[in-house]
This record gives sequence, C-alpha cells and structure tokens, in this order.
Amino acid sequence: MYTQNVNEINADTTMKDEVDTKTFTMATFHEKSHFWGRLTIWSVIVLTVLLPAYLSFGLGYHPGWQIILSGLAAYAGVIAVVWALEPIMYFPMLGVSGTYISFLTGNISNMCLPSAAAAQSAVGAEPGTAKGEITATLSISAASLVNKLLLIPIIIGGAIIVANMPPQIEAVFPLVLPAIFGAVFAQFAMKKPIYGAIALIIGICVNLIALPIYLKSLTCIVLTVLICIQLERMKEKKLSKS
Amino acid sequence: MDIVMELANSKVMWLVASLVIGLVIFQSIKFIQLASRASEDVGMSKKEVRSAVKTGAIAAIGPSIAIAIVAISLIAFIGNPLTMIRIGVIGSAPIESLGASLAAEASGARLGGEGYDKAVFTAIVWVLCLGGMGWLLFTVLFTKSLGKIQDKVTQKGNGQKLMGIFATAAMIAAFGNLLSAEILKGLAPIIVIIAAAGTMIISMKLSDKYNLAWLREWALGFSIIISLCFGYFVI
Repeated sequence: MYTQNVNEINADTTMKDEVDTKTFTMATFHEKSHFWGRLTIWSVIVLTVLLPAYLSFGLGYHPGWQIILSGLAAYAGVIAVVWALEPIMYFPMLGVSGTYISFLTGNISNMCLPSAAAAQSAVGAEPGTAKGEITATLSISAASLVNKLLLIPIIIGGAIIVANMPPQIEAVFPLVLPAIFGAVFAQFAMKKPIYGAIALIIGICVNLIALPIYLKSLTCIVLTVLICIQLERMKEKKLSKS
Repeated sequence: MDIVMELANSKVMWLVASLVIGLVIFQSIKFIQLASRASEDVGMSKKEVRSAVKTGAIAAIGPSIAIAIVAISLIAFIGNPLTMIRIGVIGSAPIESLGASLAAEASGARLGGEGYDKAVFTAIVWVLCLGGMGWLLFTVLFTKSLGKIQDKVTQKGNGQKLMGIFATAAMIAAFGNLLSAEILKGLAPIIVIIAAAGTMIISMKLSDKYNLAWLREWALGFSIIISLCFGYFVI
C-alpha cells in the first residue's frame, strides 16, 4: 500500500514535470527571470545595507552621516551616470535574464559580454533573438559561477600569491584587457566587416576627443547603430529595386 | 592600521561576504536551470545547451584571474571580506579604490595612512556598499520596463530583424570603442590585439572548415593565452 502510494506520487510528479517542460515558453522564462533576478538582487541590496548599519550602530563606529554623504556624493559624482546608462546600453545585448545576472556579478564588458559572444558563436545563435538570449543566459551564468569559484581562493590567499608573483608575469596582467577586446572584436568583424570598420573608425575618433569615459561608449554605440541600420535600409531598397 | 584590519577581517565581515557571494552563486545556478528548461522552446538541443555553458565557463577563466589579481591590491587597505563583497558583486578594483580614497578623504584621513581608524573604515563600507547599489537598484527596478519596450519593438512587422541589427551593431560598437582606447595606449597593447584577433580568426576559420565544435568553445581562451605570450616578449 505504502509503496504504491509512493509510486503514484512519483508518477504524479513526472507527469507534472512533463507538463512543465511543455509549457515552459519564453514568456514563462521571462516571468521566472524577473522573480528570481529581483529576489537575489534585493537580498544582496538588503545585506549590503545591513553590513555598514551594523558597523555603525551595532558596534558603535558610526562616522557621522555628513561624512558618509559627502564621501558618497564625491563617489557618485564620478560614477552615478553609469548606474542608469550601463543597464540601458547593454540591454539589447544581454536581454532580461542576462541583465539580472550581469549587473549582479559585474565585469560586463570584460567577462559577461565576451562569454555571451563566444557562446553565441559556438552554438550559432544570433544576438537579439530568443535563442541568442537563452545562449547568453547560459554562458553568462556559467561565467559568473567560474568567476566566483576562482575569486574566492585568490582573494583568501591573495597576499601569498602577490608576494610570490614574478614581476614579468605581473607586468602581463594589464594586457589581458586588450587581448579580450581584440579577440571579441575580431570575432564579430569577421561576420560583419562593414559594421566592424564603422565601429572602429568611430571608436578611434571618440577616443581622440576628450570626452568622459561613459559618454565615449554611448556615443560610439548610438552612432554605429544608427549608421548600420541606415545601411541595412539602403541595402533593402537596392534589393527591392533590382 | 592593525586595529582597522582587525575589524575589516572580523567574523561579521566574513559572514556577510560569504552570504553575498553565496547569493551570486545561487543566482547563476538558478538561471542555468531556468534557461535549460526554456531551451526547448527556442529550438536548442541538449548538446547546444551544454556547449553554451562550457563556452561561457572557459571564456571566464582568463578575465577572472586577471580581475582577482588586480583586486588583491585592495586587500591591503580594506581587508579580504570587503574586497570580496565589492569585487564579487558589480564593481571593479580601480573604481572601488577610488571610492575608498574618497570616503577616507571625507573623513579627513588617508587610506591606510594617517588617521585611518575604525570609524573611517565604517565610512568606507558605507560609501562602497551604497555606491555599488546604484546599478543593483536600477536593474531591480527597471529591467521589467526595458523588457516590455523590447517586446513591443519585436512585435512590430520588421521589429525582430531591427532588434537583431541593433544588438549586433551595439555589441560591435561597444567593443570597437573599448578596443580603440587600448590601441591608443601604445605598442604592447597593439601587438597583443593583433595576436588575439589573429588567433580568433584562425580558430574560427579552422573550426568552420573542419567543423570543430571544441575549437569554437576554446577560441576566446586560446586567443587570450597566445596573445599574452606575445605581450610577454614585447615588454
């Protein structure tokens, strides 16, 4: 009797699973992404407010609100624009779920986007499509996981690693960024050489002008996107004429 | 300085740091699950799902080590747990060290120097934690609206195609801009860029020609390693 019961329950849950996978559409995926994305990020927000609050009032090391606010104002003066600009700017490339993961784990341009681009190319998915979004989510999640698993031992054993690092190896680390950017750019430029040429020309011009960093990337993205869309329109017109 | 480090590396700091990193790890596992379940709906095979996860993981190794090594410079000033919190969640070593110096300055002290005490450290924790929250709050509050806008655009006649062009062009532009900044820095970055781009192009051509899925997955990792070898001999 008992085993039969268990079997029935098992049969029940497997049936439910089947129904679930069948009805798990992109819409459900987005709904669940909003729920889990918000839940995890809200939890981190709460934790990171509780920590300084505890140091201030639990342990009694409160430096005074004026000091905190003037420090925060100076800091915000440097980066506040990016708080809104980056999530909007990267949204078309990351999608709903990719945005939740990338803006929690960080390192968007040097880790998340390159990972997404590499995976989309490996699987053959186009950015901006549903398949592209799922591929990006899978690869960025995996990247975030690897990042934390490597970060923990390096931060904990940090002092020992730095003390024993040969200076020649240390000198190579600043070159990791150009290496990533060069490789990812080449991967795209192979497929869309004209887009690549436009982006590079605008990029060089923008970087020669003295603009704040966040405006550089925004200007480059807006101009390149406008020119590329215009180009595609012209191509279509030519096709419809001939 | 030693007294500050006592607080900076105290049990409470470690506890919160572990919880925060735990949440980030939980989130990435949760999203891998969700995306695998949705994969059928967008016509992805199990093999493609595995390949996407593997490629993302491989591509993250190089950047992660570089990020962590740069982050070590923060430990001397703000201790291990706060470094973990600020580097494990969105933020980068240069921005965080700037924030820490600004907070110390506001308290009338120098980071790791004169007048650096527990109250100054607390001010730094406030500024870095609230500062990093900007992105988190925007993401948590507005991602849903951004999603709705995207849905509206893709529902229009040629919206899907437009979105594709938009996403591709924006991605190329973002990297074109980052790349240009590096090109203008000098000879060593240029050589590294050429080597990385060359390795990427060769890997892609080879993997297309002989249909080597593993090479496509490793292409970014190889490009980073090989170009850094070139860089090593230049500097």
